[in-house]
Amino acid sequence: MTDDKDVLRDVWFGRIPTCFTLYQDEITEREAEPYYLLLPRISYLTLVTDKVKKHFQKVMRQEEVSEIWFEYEGTPLKWHYPIGLLFDLHASNTALPWSITVHFKNFPEKDLLHCHSKDVIEAHFMACIKEADALKHKSQVINEMQKKDHKQLWMGLQNDKFEQFWAINRKLMEYPPEDNGFRYIPFRIYQATTERPFIQKLFRPIASGGQLHTLGDLLKDVCPSAITSEDGEQKTQVMIHGIEPMLETPIQWLSEHMSYPDNFLHISIIPRPTD
Amino acid sequence: VSCGMAGEEEFFLEEKRFKQYCEDLVKHSQQIGDGWEWRTRKDLGDGYLSKTHFQVRNRHTPPDLKEKNNDNNEQMLCAHVEEPLDDSQATGLCSTEEVVRYEYHVLYSSSYQVPVLYFRACFLDGRPLTLDEIWGSVHASYQARLQEGPWDTITQQEHPILGQPFFVLHPCRTNEFISAVLGGSPEHNRHTNYIILWLSTVGPVVGLNLPLSYAKLAPQESTDADLA
Repeated sequence: MTDDKDVLRDVWFGRIPTCFTLYQDEITEREAEPYYLLLPRISYLTLVTDKVKKHFQKVMRQEEVSEIWFEYEGTPLKWHYPIGLLFDLHASNTALPWSITVHFKNFPEKDLLHCHSKDVIEAHFMACIKEADALKHKSQVINEMQKKDHKQLWMGLQNDKFEQFWAINRKLMEYPPEDNGFRYIPFRIYQATTERPFIQKLFRPIASGGQLHTLGDLLKDVCPSAITSEDGEQKTQVMIHGIEPMLETPIQWLSEHMSYPDNFLHISIIPRPTD
Repeated sequence: VSCGMAGEEEFFLEEKRFKQYCEDLVKHSQQIGDGWEWRTRKDLGDGYLSKTHFQVRNRHTPPDLKEKNNDNNEQMLCAHVEEPLDDSQATGLCSTEEVVRYEYHVLYSSSYQVPVLYFRACFLDGRPLTLDEIWGSVHASYQARLQEGPWDTITQQEHPILGQPFFVLHPCRTNEFISAVLGGSPEHNRHTNYIILWLSTVGPVVGLNLPLSYAKLAPQESTDADLA
């Protein structure tokens, strides 16, 4: 039986093989070769694509280059969503490598947040962590930490340092001995077919009688269409980090072991492939 | 003082109360034609306050005097007055009038149990204003207030219901200043419209004003039973 700590490592080190291709209408001085990269599931596009940017800028003139943005099959990719979430939501049942198109012009102002520097990514990442702790601990744990601890969480993510990150993050995963879990579970449920970007609600991990709520309980409460079977068939998949956890899994356990570094469970509801 | 600490002084806003206060605000807004409306989404039943208004912005392009010293400036100004001028140069200034569409949304954050103000602005051709351009139209005294106010920063974020980029006043320390302003006992405060109080404080910082008549809203007689 796998140790729970192994799950933390498997989540952290998950990778998606990706092929970046320059958009055909971008103006280049010579032909742009595609660029291949293993993307960390737990990170953010604009944090890990410096090499991609450099590679394509080599064949372009300076004046043709403004803010980089990424697109998959016509959909602009939100850099502020973790990479693994974007893949699970848009491309999990397609052939690898994941094909992403790179743009340097016509930034889609209505769809994407700007990302002018790494500071913007850090601010977004820390805001998510703070919100997660507001839900789990009324912000008490994150507020008791020093600035250098906050910095260590960000540096751990930025530099892909599992131990450095978890030295601090483990405190965000603790709870008082008299409780059996967090106050509320930080989660977001995404469905590509809906207009609303995600569903987020208050949800307690422990029922009033003391039983542990499961993933199935969460979905039933917050997104029942995801698991009701029509014709007795399950039309959707419930995916976290590229796998379908059993619906009987306690949500408290999922929160502690399968959250992203921002401390949120990002859950994708996608159509089940019909092969 | 750190944000979000549980304590008896904290006055957290429950979602049901949030909706009630918004409803009261919309009723008054309809009476005075102030343009606020409540928007709901069928799928989840949550909703938000929304107001759109159009504003004409005067963009003044001053003559380029930056590199000249004071004496020369005076000479330049005199020269402008004395020379024969055609209409477009009458004042030495070029003013372009542009219409800007401002949108303000008030959403409820269940994570922090406070209201949050989202806003964005764009020209009529759809081009969005940057934060700097929006700042240009905020009165200088409010710009100072932003620096000392109980909010960490204004950042661009994804609107949780529309999924589009908006600017947001961070809600982290909202409860701090609301508690300070409300003071008193929760019993007494139940009759104060938290949303009107909050919006009248944060709104002007981002160009949104509430007419004074909102302050005189009759306290609701609703009891806890009504809101249960």
